[in-house]
Amino acid sequence: MSKSLNSALAAVLLVCAGGVQAGVLGLGSTATPEMIAGWDIDIRPDGQGLPDGEGSVADGEAIYEAQCASCHGSFGEGVGRWPVLSGGFGTLDTLDPKKTVGSYWPYASTLWDYIHRAMPYAAPQSLTDDEVYSVAAYVLYLNDIVDDDFISNRETFSKVKMPNEANFYVDNRPDVQNTRCMENCADPRQFEIVTTINGVTPTGHFKEDSGVAANHYGGATPIATAKATEVALSDAATNGKSVYDKACMACHTMGIAGAPKTGDVADWSTRIAQGMDVLHSNAINGYQGEKGVMPAKGGNMSLSDDEVRDAVLYMVESSQ
Amino acid sequence: MSMRIRAKEQNGLVTVQSLIRHPMETGLRKDKDGNTIPEHWIQEVVVESAGKQVFAAALNTSVSKDPFLSFAFAGKKGDTLKMSWKDSAGETDSTEVTVS
Repeated sequence: MSKSLNSALAAVLLVCAGGVQAGVLGLGSTATPEMIAGWDIDIRPDGQGLPDGEGSVADGEAIYEAQCASCHGSFGEGVGRWPVLSGGFGTLDTLDPKKTVGSYWPYASTLWDYIHRAMPYAAPQSLTDDEVYSVAAYVLYLNDIVDDDFISNRETFSKVKMPNEANFYVDNRPDVQNTRCMENCADPRQFEIVTTINGVTPTGHFKEDSGVAANHYGGATPIATAKATEVALSDAATNGKSVYDKACMACHTMGIAGAPKTGDVADWSTRIAQGMDVLHSNAINGYQGEKGVMPAKGGNMSLSDDEVRDAVLYMVESSQ
Repeated sequence: MSMRIRAKEQNGLVTVQSLIRHPMETGLRKDKDGNTIPEHWIQEVVVESAGKQVFAAALNTSVSKDPFLSFAFAGKKGDTLKMSWKDSAGETDSTEVTVS
């Protein structure tokens, strides 16, 4: 018995050794165009990838009723908690936004891609291309994006404009620069973690000469950065303190992300020297400095310009 | 189009499904700035088929936005079905379909 098993194994090994080898390691085989086509099913916003075929709203209604309506509802209103497909126009900027194909999706091509790829839920990729064209046309019709005589095919479908397309835009925020220090850099061995945010994130490290490290090692130098004495504040700066507590202190207390610490006279003096207009402008519009980044209004866009000015004044008056 | 209606006959019974696009504001909600959103809701829905009223509903503020109504009545294929509504702002609309 064991002998016959051995010879069977040997036969299998022989077959393997004589099989097709691919690449340097002789592993796997090169994918054929048919194999790639099976995976390459995405549809682009410009219609690239749409196959031949055609469907009408009327055909789509019949298929939709049979395959889709049990979950998505006869009119795309969504049964129970299943996804709503239609309506919701004008709700995106309200407290109760309703994101549907019509109110939210930027491109009709996603509809074709998604139905073809993943629907019906219980039997994905069971619809023919014609059926997908029909159902996609019907869902557009439910959203009043096309009329009931719409015939969808590669040409007409790629021309469909979705109402919400213009509200999508490319993120134009600049990349964060992590500039390496190449000379006169602080010695990493001297870095001290002095606090953490909620005990999670290590933040803030200091050069030895900042006083913090020396103090930590039992030196006599007091912490230079914190001002022990209360500073007399102007009215505007007093107003600014509440804004500061709300929006600025997360970074400006510990100097996170290169923020000048409130009360750090040395760090602030060069900034104050630029004039208040520059500081206001940088705080309101955001600023990318050598050392760090200041998000516009500290990332809290609900603040008014005046509130930001007051908060800047508070920091300036507390740091000179 | 403010209404969508589907009416299908089977064994002498016409099943009607309908969806009306309507905000159904109760007049009790406030917008982001704290201002009251004025009430605007459907008061009355009437459906007639073959010259006869087959359905009527007195809706009020407890009914959701975009109300979905479904009911059945004895009828036959080819009958016309006319659905109309009237709201608290005095607006009305109606749509006619054929039973299939």
